[in-house]
Amino acid sequence: MTTLRWIAVIARKDLRAEFRSGGRIAAMLAFSVLACFLFSFSLDRGRVDGRDVAAGLLWLTVLFASISGAGRTFDAEEEDGAFRHLLLSPVSRHAIFLGKAAANLVPVTLVAAFTLVALNLFFGITAPGPLGLHAAILLPGAIGLAAAGTLFGLISRHSSLGDSLLPALTFPVLVPLVFFGATASSRVFLDRPWDEISGAARLLWAVAIGFVAVGALLFRYITDD
Amino acid sequence: MKLAAHELVCCYGPTRAVDGVDLEVAGDSILAIFGPNGAGKTTLLKALSGEHRPDGGWVSLDGEAVTGSDPAWRGRVGVVSHRTGLYMKLTVMENLLFFAALHGVADAGGAAVEALASVGAQGLARTRAEALSRGQRQRVALARALLHDPDILFLDEPFSGLDPSAAAALEAVLRARRSPERLVVFVTHDLRRGLGLADRAVVLRQGRKVMDADRAECEPKELMALFSGDGGNPR
Repeated sequence: MTTLRWIAVIARKDLRAEFRSGGRIAAMLAFSVLACFLFSFSLDRGRVDGRDVAAGLLWLTVLFASISGAGRTFDAEEEDGAFRHLLLSPVSRHAIFLGKAAANLVPVTLVAAFTLVALNLFFGITAPGPLGLHAAILLPGAIGLAAAGTLFGLISRHSSLGDSLLPALTFPVLVPLVFFGATASSRVFLDRPWDEISGAARLLWAVAIGFVAVGALLFRYITDD
Repeated sequence: MKLAAHELVCCYGPTRAVDGVDLEVAGDSILAIFGPNGAGKTTLLKALSGEHRPDGGWVSLDGEAVTGSDPAWRGRVGVVSHRTGLYMKLTVMENLLFFAALHGVADAGGAAVEALASVGAQGLARTRAEALSRGQRQRVALARALLHDPDILFLDEPFSGLDPSAAAALEAVLRARRSPERLVVFVTHDLRRGLGLADRAVVLRQGRKVMDADRAECEPKELMALFSGDGGNPR
């Protein structure tokens, strides 16, 4: 119970600071719109059905937007050394990780939903498949991206290379997440039956849960001096 | 209550920032750690508070080893560091309520108001931290450290950035915490103010303890000599 309360307290604090500064979410959403807009020009829509490519573009856009935002996960913590005091509190390390990942989940989910709508608009997709199924695929994707972004955001902060290290660290690790996510989403866009979607969706959930568990475990070792 | 360091060693690469320091401080007293820049004062304070894991030796409280990885230990200490550690986008009250929640303070609102009043910063509750001056932030940082009524308070250069009235208020707060069940340990290079407040003084130079004495035994001239490197027989 205490752990859940700590997670909620940390996530609420992060979101409050996030929405007051606003810069990160606005930048992520702007990137999403711009990417969808440019993708719409790069394809000959007379020859290519938007539904055939939408899943790949959706996941690439969400991936890039999430990683660009992940680099700023610890901005508020580092501004005047607040992270040191967070670590000096009696809160367990995994509760800190889960709280920060939960706060990260909000912008990533916003970007995923926003990108889905933008893609449908820019590619003129009138029948994108059931919205509930899209949500069931994007949610574990967002959880995995938020967990990985939180962990690697911290690692890159501790490195002299800083944010430039972030894509090099995260992209290889996120391959399974993007692969299963794009596979499942493409089948939803093409309105395939659940039997054809469920395998990739289950693996996607497994990868997302794995990221959360490994992130919570590693966070302790990274933050222990 | 008795806090002790036993043969404490802290290294940064090949550099021994703290080199075999033994230290003992009992409750009801205020310990000042003096030393010139680079003497290892902050590192020693971090090792004592559990923030920095020592490379050798250990820290004990009443004979039991304590480490920063123990949440119970972290709940018993309050830390004021060189950087104030406030969230700039949050108001002062939001900052205090956040840390009060982390420490499980029962009446968080009441404790925050009381802590702010104790450092003379009650008028700042609704101000965002980013709008505060350096001295005001330092006061709020002290209020945050006092929120959960810690048994041991560690302060790193607590007087830096404070105007004379704020520094006097801080001294009063620290003096008021003298009790057999409480300890105050602070680091400073301000000899005059430090000696005015401390019951015991430890001087570090190049990571080694070169003096450890009760306040009454401390001669400011001798301390100055230790600072400048003219003295230094461990005592």
